[in-house]
Amino acid sequence: MFGCCGCCSALRPRYKRLVDNIFPVTPQDGLVKANLEKLTFYSLSSPEKLDRIGEYLYQKAARDIYRKRYGFVIIAMEAMDQLLLACHAQQLNLFVESFLKMVQKLLESTEPQLQILATQSFVKFANIEEDTPSYHRRYDFFVSKFSAMCHSGVANDTRNKIRIAGIQGLQAVVRKTVSDDLVENIWEPVHMDKIVPSLLFNMQESTFHTNESGEEMPVPEEQSNDPPMLAETCMRELVSRASFGHIRAVLKPVLRHFDLHKLWVPNLFAIHTFRIIIFSIQAQYSYTVVETLMAHLDENSKSSPTIRTSIVDVLSKIIAIAAGESVGPSVLEIINSLLNHLRDSVKHGTSQMEEKMYQDALINALGEFANHLPDYQKIEIMMFIMNKIPFPLNENRSPADNLLQSMLLKSLLKVGTKYQTIHLNTTFPVSFLEPLLRMSLAPDPDMRLLVQKILHTLIDRHNNLEKLTKPYVDTNEISLTLEKSSRPDLIFINKHGPIIYDALYTSLQMDSNAVKNIEAVYTTLALLCVELASSETAIDLLQLVLGIQSLSLNSTVLSNAQKFNLHAVVISLLTLVPLVVNIQPLLDYAEKLVASRKQEAPHLLPDLQEQYPANCELANKLPHLLVDQMALCEYVKSGGLDPTRLAQTSPYGAGGPGAVLGNPRRSWVEVGARGSVVEIGNAAEVDSVSSSPGVQRKLPEEELTFESMKKVLTEPPESRKEMEAERREQISHTFRTAPFSELVRKTQPKKKLQNKLNEIFENLQRNENPRKTINKQHIH
Amino acid sequence: MDDYKFLFKVVLVGNAGVGKTCLVRRFTQGLFPPGQGATIGVDFMIKTVEVDGEKVKLQIWDTAGQERFRSITQSYYRSAHALILVYDISCQPTFDCLPDWLREIEEYASSKVLRILVGNKIDRDDREIPTHVGEDFAARHNMYFLETSAKEADNVEKLFMQIAEDLMEQARSKDLPRYDTSTANIDSRTSTVGDSSCCGKLI
Repeated sequence: MFGCCGCCSALRPRYKRLVDNIFPVTPQDGLVKANLEKLTFYSLSSPEKLDRIGEYLYQKAARDIYRKRYGFVIIAMEAMDQLLLACHAQQLNLFVESFLKMVQKLLESTEPQLQILATQSFVKFANIEEDTPSYHRRYDFFVSKFSAMCHSGVANDTRNKIRIAGIQGLQAVVRKTVSDDLVENIWEPVHMDKIVPSLLFNMQESTFHTNESGEEMPVPEEQSNDPPMLAETCMRELVSRASFGHIRAVLKPVLRHFDLHKLWVPNLFAIHTFRIIIFSIQAQYSYTVVETLMAHLDENSKSSPTIRTSIVDVLSKIIAIAAGESVGPSVLEIINSLLNHLRDSVKHGTSQMEEKMYQDALINALGEFANHLPDYQKIEIMMFIMNKIPFPLNENRSPADNLLQSMLLKSLLKVGTKYQTIHLNTTFPVSFLEPLLRMSLAPDPDMRLLVQKILHTLIDRHNNLEKLTKPYVDTNEISLTLEKSSRPDLIFINKHGPIIYDALYTSLQMDSNAVKNIEAVYTTLALLCVELASSETAIDLLQLVLGIQSLSLNSTVLSNAQKFNLHAVVISLLTLVPLVVNIQPLLDYAEKLVASRKQEAPHLLPDLQEQYPANCELANKLPHLLVDQMALCEYVKSGGLDPTRLAQTSPYGAGGPGAVLGNPRRSWVEVGARGSVVEIGNAAEVDSVSSSPGVQRKLPEEELTFESMKKVLTEPPESRKEMEAERREQISHTFRTAPFSELVRKTQPKKKLQNKLNEIFENLQRNENPRKTINKQHIH
Repeated sequence: MDDYKFLFKVVLVGNAGVGKTCLVRRFTQGLFPPGQGATIGVDFMIKTVEVDGEKVKLQIWDTAGQERFRSITQSYYRSAHALILVYDISCQPTFDCLPDWLREIEEYASSKVLRILVGNKIDRDDREIPTHVGEDFAARHNMYFLETSAKEADNVEKLFMQIAEDLMEQARSKDLPRYDTSTANIDSRTSTVGDSSCCGKLI
């Protein structure tokens, strides 16, 4: 045979002879190196022959494959590799055609060894930078075949090798194609739908199957030999190369894969994968991942709540990473979408455990997202959520509305806890504060509690919240972090204090309050006191303290337990205020009261309870244990503060809720006026306070002259109570005898709390502008 | 050796366990693997046959029947010239799923793809689907119909030869779906034979 070849060789073209010579007699001898060098030199010196050489090598290899002489096939491939690396001529392009045909031929064989060899050659080829693009070259087969190899199911030992080869092949295809726009678009769904599931399939093996079966556990393989690791690397590379338009092409098969392989529940692998994606993706596109996941949630709206919960959970795990890059409308879009899901979930009305978990997961995701946004955006988000809360707060809302409101408030709370207040006026823009206070008067006690909690987290700047969750009177026990309040804060509280105090006061009037509601209101007040420690706020709060006390004495709707609770709040605040603004005489007075209450009426002290023993005496019967207005004025004065305002009638309704609710506008005007007066100066203040309350506090049912006012102030509470009763008698008499139309006219404005509140806020807004101008003038 | 004139992609689909892999193995390797496990993802085989003296290379993509691999298997329909839809004549549920498979094929495959319905395992005695039921179904959906046994090698050769002949005829009448250019062109009628399926032209 050798001789025959020898005699023919003279007639054969030179390149064929050179190619023939690189093959040894037996394949075991390996490539004839010296002859390969000759071939390389030849092809370098006459590059026009390169394509013929390639073609010839390919034909030889094809023949050898057919005859199953794999040794020679391997040698042919090796030679082609060497030529490919050695030659960088223009003609390489044509040579590559034969080279790729060769690779394909090897991949088509059923021999694993050849497939792996072909992949290795392909990887080498992919690493070469070609100077001429090849528009007509197609990688369709390679993608298909490599993907199939990734799923190899042959016997255990070679299986991993083939899978690794498959992954490497895919990696090579991606590398080869992404860098050049002119060659085949690897991002086409037809390719991505093969590549992505193949990578995921190998990745998921690591987390579950190997751990489950434990078969591969004892042998810690090298990273490069481990298909899951390699697949992960490849995935990272793929994602990091994806441009904006291609991200969806990658994500869609990912989501589909999770759906089909049921990888959402449990979602460990999904979280793992999405973390990889979000970390690898070009940062400016990261919110697209969030968007896509969100869209997937939309598509899964009919799926079981557990799946949705898992998806949201994944979302919450990655949303934080994406948040940093999200800007402008996309942020609100994401929030909006989350809120919509929340609303949909509530609308379905299923109160199943899973659905609840889903809602919690949504809120959680929202919080996570907000957590990583800059503070100014958090405020925006809070206002945005606020706007989504359905108004009005009618009593006859559907339970779903109710649930949605509390869900949204929970989200708000979640965002609020992530927010760090610096200035109260930036935290509480009017458009946010007002609806929030409105919500604080919701009929549902749980909702009121939520609002108070939101207030707590937003007001508390010095981490005093923990120490003030419950009313206490033992001032030595707790060390508060105090800081002198800044001027913007004081302006804020002067401007908005009245509506805040009034809302808190009004919420204390609700007979549906539980202990935790009252405690929450206390905490809000205490926090305000601590955060805004100034003589102004001290007076305001003391005024409110008196108001609360008279409420607890006079209210007709509150239960005895609630009244006792209020007394406990009163005394707690009374000890707190002098502590914060440092009025020793007042503190002494408070401590004296505490001491005597301890002896005579411990039920008027904290802790607050839902139920008190039946023999607890009403506070009305123990006037000496109450906070006395006159005494208060004295001590305040001796503490160096101006008690003038305190000496006036409290702006807070002296009678039960009827007085306040029946006459809200007047009290608002008065309070509002007071607020602005403070700004203007002391002279005006005296003027205004002495004149306005008398006029403005006139109730339609009640003749309020100077005489009667004096009576109210001087007479002991018993007689005041008697008068109150008398008045009530009168009212009921009127209602019994008066004509219907008149009754309608009388009762109309009281009909709905909501109406009242709307009026209040409208009024407030109208007052807002002139007050602002006054403030400005004052400042200038 | 390798100077084939036509290259066709054939994809096998159908429920898990109907014998897709066995059909392919029987055809390409001439053997019946007794304990064949479930296919993972996609498997690939190649076989060159001769039709009218022309060499025709069949790329056979054998897909997994399991639902969880649906996303990867569907991506292979897209470039198929022929789709073999297999059911098990001794298993009613595999036949009942056929409409679902057809829907998938409609969605993911080219509209001009050659579709063949195959009832496999005719060697078994516990037949549940009579031949005429399969025939009716195939006729209604404009498919070829054949009953085979991978175990006994009944009709297996015939099945693939038939496909090769049909595709060749289609190719000659220039009515073969083109894939090798862009996917947008799948349905274009203007495709030429040489570009897409004839490797000889490249040389």
